[in-house]
Amino acid sequence: MAQTPLCSDHRSRRIFLADCGLGFTGLALGAMNARAQEAAWAPPTGNPHRAPKAKRVIWLFMLGGVSHVESFDPKPVLNRFAGKQLSETPHAGILESPLIRENLKAFVPGQHQIKLTLYPMQTGHRKRGANGVEVSDWFPHIGGMMQEIALVRSAWTTDNDHGAILQFHTGRHIFDGYLPTIGSWVHYGLGSLNENLPSFVVLGQPPGDCCGGVGTHGSGYLGPEHNGVYLEANPDAPLPFVSPGPGVYLEEQRREFAFLERLNRLTAVEYPADAALRARIKSYELAFRMQTAVPDALRFKEESAETRGLYGLDHDVTRPFGEVCLAARRLSERGVRFVQIYHGGAGNAWDAHKDLRKNHAELAAKVDQPVAGLLKDLKQRGLLDETIVVWATEFGRTPGAENSNGRDHHPFGFSIWMAGGGIKPGVVHGATDEIGFHAVENRHYVTDIHATVLHLLGLDPKKLDIPGRKRLEIDYGKPIQGIIA
Amino acid sequence: MQAAPRIAAGILAAVVLAPAADLYRDRVQGILARNCLGCHSAGARQGGLDLSTREGLLRGSDHGPVVVPGNPEASQLYKLAAHIAQPAMPLKGRKLADSDISALGDWIRAGAPFEEATIVEGVDLAKAGEHWAFRKPVRPAVTSPGNPVDHFIQQARERRGLARAPEADPRTLLRRLYVDLTGVPPTTAEMAAYLGNRSPRAYEQKVEELLASPRYGERWGRHWLDVWRYSDWYGRRQSKEVRFSQPHVWRWRDWTIESLNANKPYNRMIVEMLAGDEVAPGDPSTVRATGYLVRSWYKFNRNVWLNDTVEYTAASFLGLTLKCARCHTHKYDPIPHSDYYRFRAFFEPHDIRIDRVEGQADTFKDGVARVYDADGAKPTYRFFRGNENTPDTSVALQPAPPSLFGRGALAITPVKLPLAAYFPDSRPFTAAALIVQARDEIANIEREMVKLRDAEKAAATDAAKLKKARIDLAAAEKRLGAAQASIPAIEKRARADAATLMTPPDPNAEQLAEAARAAERKANVLRAEASLMLGQFDFDQAQGDEKKLAAATRRLEAAVAALNEPKEGYTPLGQKYPPSSTGRRLALAQWIASQDNPLTARVAVNHMWMRHFGRPLVSTVFNFGRSGKPASHPELLDWLAVEFMESGWDMKALHRRMVTSQTYRMTSAGQPHPSDPDNVYYTRMNSRRMEAEAVRDSLLAVAGKLDPTMGGPEIDREKGHEVHRRSIYFLHAPEYQMDMLEAFDAASPVECFQRNESIVPQQALALANGRLGLALARTLAAELPASGFIAAAFERVLGRPPSAAEQTASEEFLRDQTTLHRDPAGLEVYKTGQEPAVKPATDPSARARENLVHVLFNHNEFVTVR
Repeated sequence: MAQTPLCSDHRSRRIFLADCGLGFTGLALGAMNARAQEAAWAPPTGNPHRAPKAKRVIWLFMLGGVSHVESFDPKPVLNRFAGKQLSETPHAGILESPLIRENLKAFVPGQHQIKLTLYPMQTGHRKRGANGVEVSDWFPHIGGMMQEIALVRSAWTTDNDHGAILQFHTGRHIFDGYLPTIGSWVHYGLGSLNENLPSFVVLGQPPGDCCGGVGTHGSGYLGPEHNGVYLEANPDAPLPFVSPGPGVYLEEQRREFAFLERLNRLTAVEYPADAALRARIKSYELAFRMQTAVPDALRFKEESAETRGLYGLDHDVTRPFGEVCLAARRLSERGVRFVQIYHGGAGNAWDAHKDLRKNHAELAAKVDQPVAGLLKDLKQRGLLDETIVVWATEFGRTPGAENSNGRDHHPFGFSIWMAGGGIKPGVVHGATDEIGFHAVENRHYVTDIHATVLHLLGLDPKKLDIPGRKRLEIDYGKPIQGIIA
Repeated sequence: MQAAPRIAAGILAAVVLAPAADLYRDRVQGILARNCLGCHSAGARQGGLDLSTREGLLRGSDHGPVVVPGNPEASQLYKLAAHIAQPAMPLKGRKLADSDISALGDWIRAGAPFEEATIVEGVDLAKAGEHWAFRKPVRPAVTSPGNPVDHFIQQARERRGLARAPEADPRTLLRRLYVDLTGVPPTTAEMAAYLGNRSPRAYEQKVEELLASPRYGERWGRHWLDVWRYSDWYGRRQSKEVRFSQPHVWRWRDWTIESLNANKPYNRMIVEMLAGDEVAPGDPSTVRATGYLVRSWYKFNRNVWLNDTVEYTAASFLGLTLKCARCHTHKYDPIPHSDYYRFRAFFEPHDIRIDRVEGQADTFKDGVARVYDADGAKPTYRFFRGNENTPDTSVALQPAPPSLFGRGALAITPVKLPLAAYFPDSRPFTAAALIVQARDEIANIEREMVKLRDAEKAAATDAAKLKKARIDLAAAEKRLGAAQASIPAIEKRARADAATLMTPPDPNAEQLAEAARAAERKANVLRAEASLMLGQFDFDQAQGDEKKLAAATRRLEAAVAALNEPKEGYTPLGQKYPPSSTGRRLALAQWIASQDNPLTARVAVNHMWMRHFGRPLVSTVFNFGRSGKPASHPELLDWLAVEFMESGWDMKALHRRMVTSQTYRMTSAGQPHPSDPDNVYYTRMNSRRMEAEAVRDSLLAVAGKLDPTMGGPEIDREKGHEVHRRSIYFLHAPEYQMDMLEAFDAASPVECFQRNESIVPQQALALANGRLGLALARTLAAELPASGFIAAAFERVLGRPPSAAEQTASEEFLRDQTTLHRDPAGLEVYKTGQEPAVKPATDPSARARENLVHVLFNHNEFVTVR
């Protein structure tokens, strides 16, 4: 799909909005009014700061915390020390590491103490993919795609409770409040790629109020127009106000919109300098198209049986998340810039404090094939080269046991992976120590993942700064060079 | 050892002539500030050394004196700086220039004269006054007749060779004034009356009328609640877990609206919000104003709570980015790191609570959310780098305003509280409410027992079920007994409470307390016996299930323990709080609300100006510091600020002053002047989009459906399309906003000093497809006369008649739409979505008229204030 060029030449900040096609959806007139006196400051033009390697992002986020040692960072040594106290093993020194202090900003001090009785892996593992990366037996499909994936085994964060969900998206601890999220930065910086869909879309069940809620795809001070737009995977009612409700004729409404435009244009003759009026006329055009474009993107009629099979739509277990992943591809294809997908909401989280085996085996079975299917489908359609796929989770799980058969939250080291545009395929980057406790090699705080995404999209996060909104060095992160092609 | 004095000797001649005090001021003070105070001043005190005061200088460090006046060679400060002794200073830094070292030597030799440091933690406080906003505003002269607002605006225009636009036409002007002062447009009748009023003072009369309308408080209340970041409680509303703010903060929202309507002086409002419990401790209707502070409550972290309290108080009232000094000395403004924590100390003692209100015992259901001083002895420490894990416990900081405003301490007088304030449940309605609650419980148990008896009958043949039913029934009987016994217990506890409060003490106090204990125990025993029965049953049933057994055992043990409660004394009806308040918040509030404060009035005036004129005078509305922007019209800002204060902080007078100006009354039509593209100098008025609340309220108003009921608990946000109350009364919290308001950039309840005015397709969808708009369009269309419909609809919705072109277009639309509806067969229809609240008309032309009104609701001019 052709990219709608956003205006590069803005004579007056107030006017340029209306003159730049539909790109205004990513930009706020009000924000500009408010900041018009900031002489040195200009809003983003919608153009990347340097040549981009990718255009869009699909961001898969597993809620609750996926065990890294039973997914992408298997630790067979845990089986050897199963049931032993950490202090009885050669790894006792881990507890003395200054990394613990650096890593931890407890949500409730004293809760989630380090679990000291080592717990064996609850599933097998073997080398998978053409490049032979150790992946657990719960992820055979994604494992089969390792030659396309850059795996990072050395992520860390600081919250040991589910506020880490918010933290993963804003880069700040939940105590620092609701700040712009990665999707909103991308939306703010690049605007729209299409003329009839929202540009930052959220699918799946978002986290609850406890852990950031809608703030995890919010825009903080960037303004609500940069919030992720939540879509139900239901083509009949994907978002609020998408239809005027039963009984209204399509033609009746179409004519209303046409008449409205006629009236607004009559007013525009009186107020020729009013950029807001022109922007509003455009916004109605887009809204009208959204009414059909959004449901269409969520209807899979024309998808072949083969494609459906790829995402597991033919099986009850994989169908729900398969539909979400297929919707993500269809939205991406239609030019949605950032698709943020949650898995594990509404009491279905990966938060295996007990019965980890049951919990993870069931949830992995639901996501493994759809996620792998998404990668394969993007590749076969030639979309993977310009799409960044991120798979992440809020933190890992403790090498030690909780409740005899579970694992607790573990912010000290865990795994995420990326694939697609600009990503070096088939690499493993970073490592945790032998029992999977600390990220020890090429450590990456969550904002390094943001920085990598922005870098590949051609954005310089510092150039997106807004006057008066001070950010710290760690907020920007650093691109993970080891996984960039 | 020899080198330094030798070099010094050369320079000595030059400086020794200068008086020693000058040497300090000209040289030494700067040397210390640049090289030493970063670590050795009141905030940091590395090694226990504070070089920011003479006292600290002479006290020395943990290792002993650092200066021996008259003898540099014996002074550690000199020796370390000269690298004669170790550890060489500045630690890990570059050695001082020789001339600086010798200046230190000379200064000590001259007796180390010292003036109170104006440089603290790297900040030169003496220079604070160089920034305009930190100096008191002085009323500038007005040299032309008329409204001073126009004088200053005209002056600025003239300087730039700009001309002013003519006055707006009366219709546009009246609609602007209505939306601005009341949040909704005028009715057709109000518009007609105004146009027919030939009085030269018709406009001024209208201003008076609208300022006197209760709608004014609702409109401007919402503005101020943006600045004060109103939020209903949030966290997990479904499971009633409060994590932020508190239930019943809506009473503070109502206080805001009522105070504005009563034209309470702004300085008094500040005092009531920050210290209502200290200034009028016996008056719940004043105390509710402290909901302002309650709003920042946070369940999980006291420091996050206090940070928000400190930072938003400074930003909202003072336009000060105190926030930047949380981790270090402010990078732009003269605010030392410690000043942040001295400001925090005003709030250190305070905590929140909910007081009962008459008729409701359950404080989750109703009550007054308020603050009080819980612990006046709690010390305030500076956190190194803002990290709560590294407090500087060497110095407990005393409450003080930022030192850039002068370093004199505030007079802080503790406030003695009346009984009702420190023991709110001593008020007689508490006992009455508790008794009502007990009676409700009795009724509930009785109903439950009827069901249990039925269950008993039904289980006649099933031994296990029968056993369970009988246990439940027996336990219910005990609980009933307990509830019944609790009524005399409440009465006796109330009597015993009263006895303890009498002066001189009631001679019967002891007997009354004993009676209360006995009555309370009777109820408790019965309740515990019920728990015991159920616990025993569970215990018996749980055999084999380790976990259930453990839980049942715990319950049993608790029940047994409760059998003996209370062991001595009785439980008073409610908590007793400290009988006095520190007075710290009152002192702070009075300092903020003082005419001597250079910022308070300027910041408030700027907020009001922005909301009347569409842009602020100081564009950084929450930052009047050095990194903020200068005022576009500095003299106007100061004139308004002084006028505001001298009028007794009279808000309505200020509104009047602004909206009766020629500047306000100009038309917004026309091109921007090329030299002033952003209309900073008001060559015309700014047109604006209505705020979210005004959009929804105006829809209701033009349809004649706005419910004028004021006040009360927040209304479920899901009901925004059916309940026709004003938007300000609906639930508003970070995760709980009405969809329609959110689409139109409703205030972020976390922080909103200035609304966004975005234009996004979600707004179009909300207006075009929202149930509210559809229903109101249908209602209104049915009400308007079919003949002359187009003119009537334009008049009603947009406040003006249609132009000839609009009339023609509308006629065509009605005709085409009628044709369409006449033959709907074959038309595709929307099937999904919610059922409409009002069904479309069956008559084709009536339905076409509904479509027309619906389009006018979506017209750009409906949401635009010209």
